[in-house]
Amino acid sequence: MTTAVDSWCYVFGVVPAGARLSPPGTGLSQRLRLVESGELAAVVSSPPTDRSLGRAADLIEHDRVLADLVAGGTPVLPMRFGAVLSDDHAVVEELLAVHEQEFREALDAVRDRVQYTVKARYIEDVVLREVLADNPQIEQLRRSGYADEDATLERRLGLGELIVRALEERRPADTDTLLDELGDPGEVSFRELAAPDEVLDAAFLIERRDASAFERRVAAVARKHEARLQIRLVGPSPAYDFVGSG
Amino acid sequence: MTSAIQQRGGGGGYLGRPAPSGLADVVEMILDKGLVIDAYVRVSLVGIELLTIDARIVIASVDTYLRFAEATNRLDLYEHGGKDLPDLMEGMAEGGARGKTKGALGGAKEKVSELIGGSDDDEDEQPRRRPRERARQSSSRSSSGSTRRRPRRSEDEE
Repeated sequence: MTTAVDSWCYVFGVVPAGARLSPPGTGLSQRLRLVESGELAAVVSSPPTDRSLGRAADLIEHDRVLADLVAGGTPVLPMRFGAVLSDDHAVVEELLAVHEQEFREALDAVRDRVQYTVKARYIEDVVLREVLADNPQIEQLRRSGYADEDATLERRLGLGELIVRALEERRPADTDTLLDELGDPGEVSFRELAAPDEVLDAAFLIERRDASAFERRVAAVARKHEARLQIRLVGPSPAYDFVGSG
Repeated sequence: MTSAIQQRGGGGGYLGRPAPSGLADVVEMILDKGLVIDAYVRVSLVGIELLTIDARIVIASVDTYLRFAEATNRLDLYEHGGKDLPDLMEGMAEGGARGKTKGALGGAKEKVSELIGGSDDDEDEQPRRRPRERARQSSSRSSSGSTRRRPRRSEDEE
């Protein structure tokens, strides 16, 4: 897995040839440049090779470079963090040339569009009170001391499991409500919900001209549900969720 | 009180977005999403493996169950006025028992920001190279105990 190299080409993403880059930084984006091949270009840099990539500053810089391009109106295919090729020649031969058709179509698909991610999760105390009110069995166990710190592990686990099940039963209706209220603003990509309290985690590909309307819509939905849901909007960002990753 | 919407960027792009509230979201995206092609070579990406794996962790069911049970116990305390909230929080932080510094509904994604906050200090640590597939299934997080006891740096803090 580990290879000793003198230099490498870190790839941020793919853009149309001639795109205007943001100023290079000192870390990950050192020697930031375009490597062009026909109508396509890769945004690459040559960060120092004497350390591993993946520190916080590297992650932030990866996003900054791509976000600046998007903010400037450039269509961008963002790479997942960690794409490295050996040199500029390899960028052309192994990346751009072999995927030319695919990348051109993908750039067309994200042109004049930005990604927004909407995340909703329950407010803990509120939803737990709902669960207790709706599930007499759980409330009874709680009153019987199953939640106490000195209750047996088995009892606490049993109670917790019932609560998680109750949350999972409750979630689909709330997810549907949010999606209904968000309307049909554009292409949607759903992410897997990782925790029982998550209600929605979805990326929307929005036309730039509709962006502020979408932001207002999300804000209105968030206000409507603020007593029991925390809703966050991330974006506008590069279309990370819409570039066909595995 | 948290605002209902926290958004990165103010008007045009992300510059000046508030950190760290947006950071976990960004990291989640660039590690989990984005274009992947088979041509590229991963070269000595020690830190990446660590972050990627932990970002994928879904809270283990056992751990989750216990935390929910604890959360309902806290509800009980509020209701009976046994302690007021600041006292309670302080006691939890000092107690240091597993999971108590986080709300029961804390998620794996918040952990990303914790890792990031400490990642610059962790360069000397040996990377934990667990197979990605196992992390995807993620039914166990017993080996990640140390990081999650750090103070939360999440948007849910207030």
